[in-house]
Amino acid sequence: MGKGILEVTDDDFKSTILESDKPAIVDFWAPWCGPCKPMGSIMEELEKTYGDRVLFAKCNVDQSPNIPTHYGIRAIPTILLFQESKLVDRVVGLVPKSHLEKALKKIL
Amino acid sequence: MPADFYDVAIIGRGPAGLQAGIHAAGKKVSVIVFGRAERSSLYRARIANFCGPKDVVAGKEILETGKKQAEALGAAFLEEDVIETKTENDGFTLTTESGKTYASTALILAMGVARKKLLVKGEKDFVGRGVTYCVDCDASFYKDVDVVVVGNESAAASGALTLLHYARTVYLVCRKLAISDSLFKQLQNSKVKLLEGTWIKEIVGSQAVEGVVLASGETLKVKGVFIELGAKGAMELAANLGVVFDAETFSLIETNKKQETNIPGVYAAGDITGPPWQIAKAVGEGCVAGIEAAEYAKKRRAEGR
Repeated sequence: MGKGILEVTDDDFKSTILESDKPAIVDFWAPWCGPCKPMGSIMEELEKTYGDRVLFAKCNVDQSPNIPTHYGIRAIPTILLFQESKLVDRVVGLVPKSHLEKALKKIL
Repeated sequence: MPADFYDVAIIGRGPAGLQAGIHAAGKKVSVIVFGRAERSSLYRARIANFCGPKDVVAGKEILETGKKQAEALGAAFLEEDVIETKTENDGFTLTTESGKTYASTALILAMGVARKKLLVKGEKDFVGRGVTYCVDCDASFYKDVDVVVVGNESAAASGALTLLHYARTVYLVCRKLAISDSLFKQLQNSKVKLLEGTWIKEIVGSQAVEGVVLASGETLKVKGVFIELGAKGAMELAANLGVVFDAETFSLIETNKKQETNIPGVYAAGDITGPPWQIAKAVGEGCVAGIEAAEYAKKRRAEGR
């Protein structure tokens, strides 16, 4: 059991995600995006299982447009997975929980 | 309260929606059913495993008969897709493709499941790099660039209009439009470049989408391809209401034995709740949803809604 899902912004993305001791998973979303809602629920469920080993975060693309642009995000929800400051995987769109879990296991 | 108020609104006029309409209207509440028969997967099917009919029956016939049965009981029908849902005034407000709004006390989601993917070369490679399936989600990533929307129905047409607020040029590629007259007029009076009678054959690019090749051989230089087949589905319409989806795929709606979702007053029936994809299962769930939604609306009316 971890500490829930951390909100990250353009300003603190580097210090929280790229300099994280743990691998990190970041959910790029927006309040007006329908499929982002269930994706958010999947993140919350996975956090309960893996939150002690992986940093779970979300980034609102409306409030923080720079990081999504930097990573070439042009669809949401998009989930990026990081390990030792490096982007290792990218999951685009609403996917089943098992699909995201499989991607997540690669950074454990 | 808006003029167009109904006790029970039903989205989808396949077997689940029709049976729900028949049973709700039979309970003496006002009922409206939204959608087109052609959208139902039953429309082109031939049915030989449904208890009752002796011979193989064309699905289309069942849909026509079911509509007449519901109408005879007083249900209203509107051949339009719902493109927006909202929770309002303790009930639901629905906006159709032509921009009309309707209010209801109870809502039955019976719009089925639709194929989302175009299944053309290049599509898979560019998901999230120019290929998208959600105008509402992704329009803002395509400011001042050229985009193409593909699809024949309301989701594509209304999506193209939405994209005009963001993109520089918006093409709409369709085989043949199946939308309401008023939505068609909106399109005609807009800057959307309509390319009817063709389809996308291939999506091309290197790192990201650079264009699409049409069946006619013509190439459109675009940075975004919005694939919007069919009508708006469960994800767009139900998620807005806070309806919970199944825990594994998050694309099917969870219901209990009364066909209730987690949101009071919202019911779901038919393919949208999951397999088996059978007419028998759809009408069974539609029956329960129709009765339960009517009872809910009556109770709310007695409470003074």
